[in-house]
Amino acid sequence: MEGTSTKGGVLSLLSLLEVQARSRRHVPPQRSRVKELRAEAEALRVRREQLKTEIQTHQSLQRLRTSLDRQSTHDEEEEEEEEEEMDEDSENSQLLKLMARHTRVKDLLLAHHLIGGYDIVKTRHGKGVCVSVATAYEGVCLETYNLEMDLKPTLRICRHNVPPFVPLSSLAEQGDMQTDIRAFLETLSQHLNAFAGRKQQLKLVKEQHKTIEVMESNALCSILVLMFTVPKTKTAILCTLNYSDHTACLPARVQFECDVKEILESTEWRKNCSLLMETPLHKALMTMKKMGNIV
Amino acid sequence: MEDSTRRVLQRLIRRIPTPQLKTTLEKWSGMTVAQRGSMDYTQTKWALTEKLLSLCEENDWTTKHITELEMIYVIDNPNQGMWHGFQLLDPEDDAHSVELTQFKEQFKSHLGELVRHVSVKIKKHTDEAVWIRIAWGDSFSRPNHLKPTYVVHHLQTPYVFVTGLTSKQKPLLSQALVLSTRHHTIKDANLSGRKLTAIRDLLMKQYQQVFPTNFPSPLAEKNETVSNPKIEREQAGPGAHRHQMACEAFGDGMLPQLQSAVYKLETKFKDHTNRTMTERDEPFKCIVKFESTNLLESLRYCAASGIASTPVTPLLSSIPLKGRNYFVITDNGPGPSSQMHQSQN
Amino acid sequence: MEPPHNSVVRTPLNSVIVQRRSKSKSYRQSYRSCLGAASRLGLTPALTARRLNTSRRAPKSHNISEKVNPEHLALLLKTEWKLSYVSPLYKFRHTQLKSYSRQLSAFIAAEKQQGLAVEVEGLQSGFRVTLSVVQGLTETDDDAETVLIQIHANPLFARQDEPQRSVWSGWLTCINGNTDYLHSLPKDFTCLPLCGCSGSEYLSGLVKSWFQQTFDCCFGPLEINHTSLQWLVALWTNCHMESSLQHLKMSWTLPVVPPLQVTYTVNPQDAWELWCSVRAGRQEEDEEEEEGGSIDIKEVMRLMQGLKGHFFRHFRLDLSAGSLRQVTTALGSAKCNGRIKISNSRYMITTLTLLTECALLKMPI
Repeated sequence: MEGTSTKGGVLSLLSLLEVQARSRRHVPPQRSRVKELRAEAEALRVRREQLKTEIQTHQSLQRLRTSLDRQSTHDEEEEEEEEEEMDEDSENSQLLKLMARHTRVKDLLLAHHLIGGYDIVKTRHGKGVCVSVATAYEGVCLETYNLEMDLKPTLRICRHNVPPFVPLSSLAEQGDMQTDIRAFLETLSQHLNAFAGRKQQLKLVKEQHKTIEVMESNALCSILVLMFTVPKTKTAILCTLNYSDHTACLPARVQFECDVKEILESTEWRKNCSLLMETPLHKALMTMKKMGNIV
Repeated sequence: MEDSTRRVLQRLIRRIPTPQLKTTLEKWSGMTVAQRGSMDYTQTKWALTEKLLSLCEENDWTTKHITELEMIYVIDNPNQGMWHGFQLLDPEDDAHSVELTQFKEQFKSHLGELVRHVSVKIKKHTDEAVWIRIAWGDSFSRPNHLKPTYVVHHLQTPYVFVTGLTSKQKPLLSQALVLSTRHHTIKDANLSGRKLTAIRDLLMKQYQQVFPTNFPSPLAEKNETVSNPKIEREQAGPGAHRHQMACEAFGDGMLPQLQSAVYKLETKFKDHTNRTMTERDEPFKCIVKFESTNLLESLRYCAASGIASTPVTPLLSSIPLKGRNYFVITDNGPGPSSQMHQSQN
Repeated sequence: MEPPHNSVVRTPLNSVIVQRRSKSKSYRQSYRSCLGAASRLGLTPALTARRLNTSRRAPKSHNISEKVNPEHLALLLKTEWKLSYVSPLYKFRHTQLKSYSRQLSAFIAAEKQQGLAVEVEGLQSGFRVTLSVVQGLTETDDDAETVLIQIHANPLFARQDEPQRSVWSGWLTCINGNTDYLHSLPKDFTCLPLCGCSGSEYLSGLVKSWFQQTFDCCFGPLEINHTSLQWLVALWTNCHMESSLQHLKMSWTLPVVPPLQVTYTVNPQDAWELWCSVRAGRQEEDEEEEEGGSIDIKEVMRLMQGLKGHFFRHFRLDLSAGSLRQVTTALGSAKCNGRIKISNSRYMITTLTLLTECALLKMPI
């Protein structure tokens, strides 16, 4: 039993750490916890001794687990054989086997989560569920959005924290949420991730490119107007980025405006246009700066 | 300088408290640096007004200048007057691509077609909000700058916040808004209050919502120490559960400062100890008003402390959930007058 | 505060006063003891019920407008009064009001000369005080006649011909005072336990201190507690058929952070029907009662319970956790901080009877 709790503990601890890592961006860590931590360290030392004894159990569990993983690709007959073989090992083998299966299922769940699955929590004694959709951009975890849903009589979103400019209700209507919740969540996740990505790009542009003026932006980060300055001539170029595909982090249309028409007709600026359409904004601007196209 | 300009300036200076006057004037482009430097803010309001009136003469300020100053003040101090929320419905396909320049042009031209004399000023604030100031006139009179309407809208969102609008102007503004944001209709969101920020945060969901989770809330660690650990332990279970329920219903941390909620109840009186009233056919009519300096925080406290039972009744949780603070409750489903079906027994 | 009993022996010269004091003390004690020791706590309905009468006559519509001077009545009705209780007045004579008026005028003038007057009062001069009897505002022969005090003054920059303005008014009354208590008072005492003031705090203070000095009495603030406010809900609702309530508005404050105020406004007809259903239940039990003869505290509680129950059914929020702070109907309004406005003369007697009772309970030992 202890083995399971440890294994399960490690996994849930990981998840907990993930949640904490996210929340830590809002909540500054408390400083005066040294004392508390010292006591905790002492407790942990005791725990270490316990764990050492547990390791053995764990190791045998690991062996079982390996054989179990191997089994899944083999025939059932062989499985039986092995089962018999193990019965001889110890009295606890049945229990250990259950535990091994349990850890395997948990690992699968974690894998599912890691490849873009959703956290689902049952609410109100199974009458509803709460789904959370995490967003990330370039490996940075960003906001997590949540949907609380009623299951009966029909699947219905009853509470959420999705910003109002994401057309949640029309997405729920279009993608047939009743029959294909996964497809709906997939689309929603695309919208949210794209929004988070655009927002993050804008944030990075503001941080990294102080010489570029953000003339206009909107809450959805779907329209962006920037002002570039051409070195030497100091000519101003207005750049409008239109992200009309709300599920994309890259603009669908890039437009330049300038009093000196010749500049825009140059090959450099044509290249810049396609650069902006294909590369994340802050990176594209970096390249343009390096090339000496903008200040 | 026109007399009306003087009046608008006088009225505006009277409205701005002296401490805010300095910051407001500094953001305004109407004065030269020297003129700004010559202002002595320790003087009385009356003296300051006289000084500004003389500057008005000197610089030949027009009503346009003064309304600019007014907008700077109102944008910086939005929590005044009564703000009402409206919701745009049925967007056209191109609604999401409306950008500021286009919106500005469209709004001005649509409103100009509806009202002959109208003065519209549009300004974009740093937080992506579009601020619109409308001074209304009619076929015979020029725009009245003393009673302007203020409209706040975040492009691509379905919400509009309005203050200082009369019922006569409402259809005109509605039409101009609907056309220029590319929607089909607009409706009253039944949310109003003195704090624009509260109404905005509530409708735009810009506050900390709490959802059920498998993981213990990291915030739970912060719980203050309680004097009696025994009582603490005893109550920790149900207490923590109530607290979680309260936060799920109303949100965590600082909540939007909504000040009131009104329920018009026309429901059957049911009481097993009172047969006469329970058997009565007519509904029991009453109006219930909740008031607090921060209503949502008060209600969260009610639920967390057990004064209000958990799970929180949909009637109360609807305030943040639906983003409204005016409800008409009847027993007979959604009819023309009923805006919320009563879901209890 | 009170000298010990043996001081009678020690200070024979003061014996008259001391005896009087000790006597009045014993009467006060006896009155309180007959009400029960728990009366001062009065926190739960059960205890508070013992405090006030648990049953009272249903408000008859009294047509006092025929008895009372219309000018006086208009003043009593249009104003919101701040209530106080007053201990019995020693050697107060209703026949001496003219002389009292002069004395009080002189007292106020003297106090003002001492420079104690604050800014607002400084703008006024030539105080004219009138004490008068409000004829007809009594219920029983034991009730002392109501006394009205009015203070007029000249505005500072008044023209010669400008009339003096009323700057302060107040009254002392006793309506349906407890007969046992009134009879137990020694001969030289007049009991006018309920006082209402309207005007500046400064003048209220001066008038009270003059009364204290002249009639050896004491004043204290009279709050209208939870139970009394609930009584008013019932008493006023009971009047609806004869004189419309327009609305029954009750305000609670709940002890949460930040404080939550709940205003519950009930349609008058619905409130009336609820009241009738609560009354009907009682009459079945208690047939011998004349219909509408008296109202029992249990009926008041049932009415409140019905109202709170309806509220709870919708909001799952227990109003009993908070305190009732205010009751407002077209017949009057009452606030827990002791401010009352009686808007309809026909039910003035009923309301004042309740308040007289509250004031008598406050008599200091």
